[in-house]
Amino acid sequence: MKEVMAIIRPSKVSRTVKALEAVGFPAMTAMRCYGRGKQRGYLDASLPEDVDVERILKEGEKQGLRMKYIPKRLLSVVVDDADVPLVVGIIMKVNRTGKIGDGRIFVLPVEDAVRVRTGERGVEAI
Amino acid sequence: MKLVKAIVRPEKVDDVVDALNNEGFPAFTKIDVVGRGKQGGIKVGEYVYDELPKTLLLIAVNDEDVAKVVDVIKENAYTGNFGDGKIFIQPIEEAYTIRTGEKGI
Repeated sequence: MKEVMAIIRPSKVSRTVKALEAVGFPAMTAMRCYGRGKQRGYLDASLPEDVDVERILKEGEKQGLRMKYIPKRLLSVVVDDADVPLVVGIIMKVNRTGKIGDGRIFVLPVEDAVRVRTGERGVEAI
Repeated sequence: MKLVKAIVRPEKVDDVVDALNNEGFPAFTKIDVVGRGKQGGIKVGEYVYDELPKTLLLIAVNDEDVAKVVDVIKENAYTGNFGDGKIFIQPIEEAYTIRTGEKGI
């Protein structure tokens, strides 16, 4: 089993959840979180899509356009090993706008899972 | 790659984040959490506070940078009192940037 941990834009959560549900992954956990990436929180809200990231970084630095903690959502989906590429692909497809801040996906190993109601373990429990 | 999960005092987050930024680790995720440690919370008179506000920092780093990141967190989140927090390190098998679809951090 693997945990697919995706840090995405808050506005994309419901679409992501619907898309995952449609292909058979209804179970997930969502958390409000804050964060930033390599761009250190420099804003690009009003930028066209064909923009050059390096240039924005330099300009942002000059003007001090910066948000230290950007609101994000952390989605956590635990899936069987074989389903990882599918889930990653769907999250990537729904969330890609091409602008800085689309987020990141991490895949972490999960050793065991337990369903509290029934006591089932492992893949049965997810 | 490893995911460094650090549970620190909320008032120390700015120090930790700025120090990590200066050391070349600008990216992180921050979640407000509550928790307690081995001491079972704080006892003030007859009241026990066992849901103490903490902040969880998630930092994805390459294997060779783990020691450095842990040192920076240890140094900047330190007060010497109970409740300074804990650091956990978990393996990351894959990482993707959604904007470009690139693999790796």
